[in-house]
Amino acid sequence: MSNLTISGSQSTPAISGDWEAGVLTMTGDSYPENSFDLFNQVIDWVERFLADGKRPLSLELHLLYLNTSSVRAIMDVFDLLEDAHAAGHPVAVNWHYDRRNERVAELAEEFREDCTFPFAIVAHD
Amino acid sequence: MDSTDLFAMRESFNRDRIMLCFNGPISRSLIEEIGNALRNYLQAEHVQPSAAMDVFGAYIEMTQNIRHYASSHGYAEHEATATVIVANKEDGRHVVSAGNVVETADGQALVARINALASLDKAQLKASYKEQLRKPRDADASSGAGLGLIDIARKASEPLAASLRETGSGRAFFSLRAVI
Repeated sequence: MSNLTISGSQSTPAISGDWEAGVLTMTGDSYPENSFDLFNQVIDWVERFLADGKRPLSLELHLLYLNTSSVRAIMDVFDLLEDAHAAGHPVAVNWHYDRRNERVAELAEEFREDCTFPFAIVAHD
Repeated sequence: MDSTDLFAMRESFNRDRIMLCFNGPISRSLIEEIGNALRNYLQAEHVQPSAAMDVFGAYIEMTQNIRHYASSHGYAEHEATATVIVANKEDGRHVVSAGNVVETADGQALVARINALASLDKAQLKASYKEQLRKPRDADASSGAGLGLIDIARKASEPLAASLRETGSGRAFFSLRAVI
């Protein structure tokens, strides 16, 4: 239906949602003062995608540092995925990180603890 | 004061191993620019990426808390002032400190909250973080600084230290210090 494209900045991630492929990608740091100005568009896109049939949706995350305001927003996105998963909708998260920065893996792991849908934390060299 | 002793200030900064300091109105873009400088300094010191991220994260949460506090109290842009210091310690750890003027009652509540956090171990801090994360956002907005303080406490390698100094007319200077 419609793709989502938000270019990144120093304090906000680059975000792209591919409606046809069912892939939402977020790359970079996220520490805007008010993360909901940014993530409301993402939440909106995910809600519309999930409401449109049962096509699989996967999130490819290359997120690094998140401030607590962004952590809340990402949690809201995962909550949507969790509800969809409970309703039998195929959803998955792949969180990619650089092996040299284990803090990113720890952050991803804390999110994963509260999720029951497929959630992979993938190390890269 | 018409003869600020820059040399004495420099000596004092060097003695205290201060990498970066700021005092004045703090804007969103200044937070980013100073943060950028901080990241560059940490990289030049060859700090591990995860440790550098913790120092940067403490700096961001502290300064954004100050901005949120000022805007939630309707302070004008020039009133959103912060005093921020990042220093390195001889043992390789870093000290991130930030202070701002607050209503005295708010400051007292903040100090009490930080003292309560200081008594928690890492597992308790994590539980408290997850609980706060799930709280309705409005409840957090009224008290302010909810999740950010716990986040800083989790990154810190020593209990957080807070202090309050009365500045008159119902306000006080609140300061927070985290060793990362």
